[in-house]
Amino acid sequence: MLGASGVGLSLSSSISACPATKSSRSTRHSSSVVKMAISVEKKPYTLEKSEEIFNAAKNLLPGGVNSPVRAFKSVGGQPIVFDSVKGSKMWDVDGNEYIDYVGSWGPAIIGHADDKVNAALIETLKKGTSFGAPCLLENVLAEMVIAAVPSVEMVRFVNSGTEACMGALRLARAYTGRQKLLKFEGCYHGHADSFLVKAGSGVATLGLPDSPGVPTAAASETLTAPYNDADAVSRLFQQHPGEVAVVVLEPVVGNAGFITPEPEFLAALRRITEENGALLIFDEVMTGFRLAYGGAQEYFGITPDLTTLGKIIGGGLPVGAYGGRREIMEMVAPAGPVYQAGTLSGNPLAMTAGIHTLRRLQEPGTYEHLEEVTGKLVNGLVAAGRAAGHEVSGGFIRGMFGFFFAEGPIRNFEEAKKSDTAKFGRFHRGMLEEGVYLAPSQFEAGFTSLAHTSQDIEQTLDAAKKVFRRI
Amino acid sequence: MASVAGVGLSWRSNLSVCPSSKPSPSQANCRVSSVVKMSVSVEKSFTLQKSEEIFNAAKELMPGGVNSPVRAFRSVGGQPIVFDSVKGSRMWDVDSNEYIDYVGSWGPAIIGHADDKVNSELIETLKKGTSFGAPCLLENVLAEMVIEAVPSIEMVRFVNSGTEACMGAIRLARAFTGRQKIIKFEGCYHGHADSFLVKAGSGVATLGLPDSPGVPKAATSETLTSPFNDLETVKSLFEAHQGEIAAVILEAVVGNAGFITPKPDFLSPLREITREHGSLLIFDEVMTGFRLAYGGAQEYFAVKPDLTTLGKIIGGGLPVGAYGGRRDIMEMVAPAGPMYQAGTLSGNPLAMTAGIHTLRRLKSSGCYEYLDKITGDLVNGLLEAGRDAGHEISGGFIRGMFGFFFTEGPVYNFEDAKKSDTAKFGRFYRGMLEEGVYFAPSQFEAGFTSLAHTAQDIEQTVEAAKRVFRRL
Repeated sequence: MLGASGVGLSLSSSISACPATKSSRSTRHSSSVVKMAISVEKKPYTLEKSEEIFNAAKNLLPGGVNSPVRAFKSVGGQPIVFDSVKGSKMWDVDGNEYIDYVGSWGPAIIGHADDKVNAALIETLKKGTSFGAPCLLENVLAEMVIAAVPSVEMVRFVNSGTEACMGALRLARAYTGRQKLLKFEGCYHGHADSFLVKAGSGVATLGLPDSPGVPTAAASETLTAPYNDADAVSRLFQQHPGEVAVVVLEPVVGNAGFITPEPEFLAALRRITEENGALLIFDEVMTGFRLAYGGAQEYFGITPDLTTLGKIIGGGLPVGAYGGRREIMEMVAPAGPVYQAGTLSGNPLAMTAGIHTLRRLQEPGTYEHLEEVTGKLVNGLVAAGRAAGHEVSGGFIRGMFGFFFAEGPIRNFEEAKKSDTAKFGRFHRGMLEEGVYLAPSQFEAGFTSLAHTSQDIEQTLDAAKKVFRRI
Repeated sequence: MASVAGVGLSWRSNLSVCPSSKPSPSQANCRVSSVVKMSVSVEKSFTLQKSEEIFNAAKELMPGGVNSPVRAFRSVGGQPIVFDSVKGSRMWDVDSNEYIDYVGSWGPAIIGHADDKVNSELIETLKKGTSFGAPCLLENVLAEMVIEAVPSIEMVRFVNSGTEACMGAIRLARAFTGRQKIIKFEGCYHGHADSFLVKAGSGVATLGLPDSPGVPKAATSETLTSPFNDLETVKSLFEAHQGEIAAVILEAVVGNAGFITPKPDFLSPLREITREHGSLLIFDEVMTGFRLAYGGAQEYFAVKPDLTTLGKIIGGGLPVGAYGGRRDIMEMVAPAGPMYQAGTLSGNPLAMTAGIHTLRRLKSSGCYEYLDKITGDLVNGLLEAGRDAGHEISGGFIRGMFGFFFTEGPVYNFEDAKKSDTAKFGRFYRGMLEEGVYFAPSQFEAGFTSLAHTAQDIEQTVEAAKRVFRRL
């Protein structure tokens, strides 16, 4: 019998420990009782309950997770099961507290479980979480996004970054009448077939070349170039004249670790695409509302044709979006013939979370705060690492950062792969024991929030100094 | 400046009504301010004035004014309705009109909208955080419930939508079999991944789109189609493409071409054919899961596929999808195996909470009997009223899912469904709206009831239908 309610969970579950067929399950059940308590006193660092729950999960979910990178495969050690989050902190099921630099992979930029967002969510859910029909809140968030993001004149909300990139790609192909797409090695744009070619994020983390199950025909329309290599892009356009529908990129890479564009790279891409009648898509699922209120395109002053968004605009609920020039967006059904739909798209609860998150970000000083705390963090980490004799490089822009165990500078995925990932794994685990939660992969950016204080940063740096000395 | 706070909304917005490019300095001159104030009043004549204002504003902001095509009312005509709140079996629009709801947010609302218990659980959970980006116990809890309920599922992966679930399942089937082709059925809809936008149902059918532009030939060339309920065509496809077909995917009861049930000898033979040929059978139970029975269509018809996709109900009103099935197949999914699929918000504690408490309610005794009864009363009442008024009408239901067509029937496949008098459907649709009944704004969508629908709701609906049928 399963029971899980509110704070202070007691779970008695029947879990099949054997890979038996469904019908024989009843004879093979083993009961396990997991009781969780939140304790305040500093405890010896144990992950016992995480281990129990995660072991149970491995029988229920592939690899024990609903998203590959959560399984800690590239850093090693026991994956952590969390119980709650608030502000800049997380608490796992063993009662350990962490300063969090994953921020749920981006959404938590104003801090986890923000009180104002939560109050608004509570009001909204009483009126219904989903209508399957238009609601005013869609207009409100749409206006905010359109006002914020330079390229976006019209927007479509979806349920994830994956859906947003899928939709944007289909739209670009329809608009140009062309089929090929050009992406960059190590960039990740969700898991639609066309994008699973030299992809970053978990694909890179797991060392997968590409994914099986992607039809060769789908992958064959995807061209790739190294990040920051505008010449390679020009050459590809020359080799495939009139065939390339679109160039898609993360304007600052977060999915191969943190890699910034070189000074003229984005401008070159804008020029090359315009010259060739192709569209330019900025995948701002990570960078949107994080590098600046108007995203990377505002920060760098380069306007793409289409933009994809996610994470932050959902405020901790599942939301994605794609938007851009009006004449392109008017091709999307039902205004136009390009099909894309979604039952939960634009639901009032998710819209509420996004609206109040963006409101908070609009307040003065937010991006300055992020710049300051993140700068201190990264500069401190890199200095501490080097002082302990390690090759470390890193960077940041406002609320997004990264570091590599390599000399750097890191300009593309090949260079990122030179990082000493074994050392990263040891560093990651050492920091966990010190109460700092970093992304469990070298090939993921880090995220700060408005809730991170200088004290959090100091604590993190002190911890890093200790860990750097022993790895 | 847009401001929204709680109940009783006041909204002022700056809208650009000119299709100018963003950086144009003349844009400021084109801005139009509109103030929309909403209040809830009890007695009104049927007006959609505020819906019209808000929807007109929406058309400038989002393609067609909507975030999903069918919401734009294009095939039924008339003013699309903007909603303000929902509860139980009821919806209220921004002009304060009240409706008995048979869309149920397209499926999720099977225990009734804004269920008090689900809501109180959501409130507890959100205080602890809506998303961790990392494992949480609630994922295990919902996974166990799904595995226990659905016959084919031994292992499950949660995602954020039915579209993601079907995408994942197809990639997995292709990876597992090492083959590339899939067979789908005309009028069935499995989300909008490229491979599925071939003779698709739902909004594609509603808008009369043949296929969607922007889908590369490379993606659709691997998709073979057959009419629903047509075993002979399926067999000949397998003959013509020996060893090439990775999977057959279908809605075991079609909901996306209107409501179409499988013939008695359709599902079992499909199971045999796929098994014989080493292909996988995938039941897309995004609509039928937990709705036809607690174990879905596969329990109801006692046919076990290899993989199953789920959505809607398992999210309890939040975005959740899932795909699951045989353990040996699911173990190919990363990070257990090499087939890639990921998601930042997948398995988030808030969505898991909604799903858990929705399924808990559905497990209590009598639910499916109740749905069977009221939906039967509804459909039989509608058909009788329609025929009495001289209309050609056919329809059916299974537990909490139903449909009707303005054609004599029986309707066995999409071609049959297309014989429906969709113009008449549009008139019926709009007539029922004025009577306070909200159906799906398309002939090619199923209807949904919930545990919150009362006998009184059904009577009111049938009485309204009688009036409307007479004046069509």
